[in-house]
Amino acid sequence: MRIEIAQFQQILWAVNSVVGLFLLVLLAVRKNYRAFPAFSFYVLVNLTLGALALLMYRRWGFSSPSSRQIGWGMQGAVICTRALAVAEVCRHLLARYRGIWAMAWRILLACAALVLVYSIVAARHLWELALLAGDRGMELSIAAVVVGVLLFARYYDVQASAADRSLAVGFCLYSCFCVLNNTILEHYLHRYGALWNLLGMLAFLASLLLWTWALRKPQTEIVPEETLLSPVIYQTVAPQVNLRLRSLNDQLSKIWKPEVTRQ
Amino acid sequence: MSLTLILFFGFVAILLLALGWAVWEPRERRKLEADPRSLEEHGQRHATYLPQIRQALAPADYDFLSKRGVPRELQRRVRRERLGVARAYLAALRGDFQSLLRMASVIAVLSPKVAAVHEFERLRLTAKFTWRYQMIRWKLLTGLAPMTQLAGLSDLVSGLSVRMETAMNELGERAAAAADLASSINRRGLDVG
Repeated sequence: MRIEIAQFQQILWAVNSVVGLFLLVLLAVRKNYRAFPAFSFYVLVNLTLGALALLMYRRWGFSSPSSRQIGWGMQGAVICTRALAVAEVCRHLLARYRGIWAMAWRILLACAALVLVYSIVAARHLWELALLAGDRGMELSIAAVVVGVLLFARYYDVQASAADRSLAVGFCLYSCFCVLNNTILEHYLHRYGALWNLLGMLAFLASLLLWTWALRKPQTEIVPEETLLSPVIYQTVAPQVNLRLRSLNDQLSKIWKPEVTRQ
Repeated sequence: MSLTLILFFGFVAILLLALGWAVWEPRERRKLEADPRSLEEHGQRHATYLPQIRQALAPADYDFLSKRGVPRELQRRVRRERLGVARAYLAALRGDFQSLLRMASVIAVLSPKVAAVHEFERLRLTAKFTWRYQMIRWKLLTGLAPMTQLAGLSDLVSGLSVRMETAMNELGERAAAAADLASSINRRGLDVG
């Protein structure tokens, strides 16, 4: 069984590399690296580190301390570049709307920090699992930020391109899967080890395919900023709307509790 | 199952649900309507039917039917259908409310600076409205809601619409005046140069 998993893992590694390379070529040919430089960098880093990891494991094996330390270091680098790519997608989705973006990025950053704290608090406090917990915390923060930015886009009904949406969904699904995978690994470390890697690669393949599909066409490099209103309009209208909404809510509460009105 | 598993699986489940909701777009969901005129139409469209709705729900009609000896089954049917009309009316009022909210969203989206306090306040009020709307809808479904109080709700929605329209007109005039002023200053600047 273990041998079968190992073989399948090698095949999957090759497939992932080919699809990753294809995505990189697609980014170059369609000149989408101009619109998504951080994402292109992430794919490049991922491919390069994947090749380096292969060489490293061949030389030192899977279980040597050097492999483990360098492997986690590479994982950290990949997550950091992914976080940059996610920030880029967030910017693509909202940066055209200056006011909303100024508010959104602060909230999203705070949200990421809170989720990171949550994942640290909720984790099992064992030193040998600290790296795994940190990795999971980062993944959970990335997923939360992606969901947050899509919620912002939905709430304000802003137009998002299909490519941006698909990239965001790909990042979120992969990060969610990593969180689940790491959580299971934390509990069933020895029995789940081989399968953990395999499932992670499968999830990444799914995301790669989604991103490849999203970037099959050239994307516009610079999205023009929306024509903005005078700031005085917002300052005048927003409080008025809120005031009316509040009174509307008061009225609704009277309908909901008519006995209060009668008193 | 350990607490860690529950905490992480639960969080991911919530994230996935939120992701599904954020990405899913119902067919009937319309895009932003930046034109205030369309909002004006929405804001006043349903409120104008309030007298008819009130008349349809007035107890006098039921008294008349019972005095005339109309079968109970038919009376129940009339009541059921009229409650259905009231629910539809309430839903339409919510549509008006949402149109106004959309307008507020458009203004926020197109503003160079927004205040988080106002945005959170609007979010909170919207959540509150949605909750109460659902409760009233349930009251209507069970026949517990006093229909006459719908009048107040309708007045508020149409009032909000009118106020928004007035505000937008005022602001449009101000913006035009500001643009005139800016262009005259520019011209003067050019003349001096």
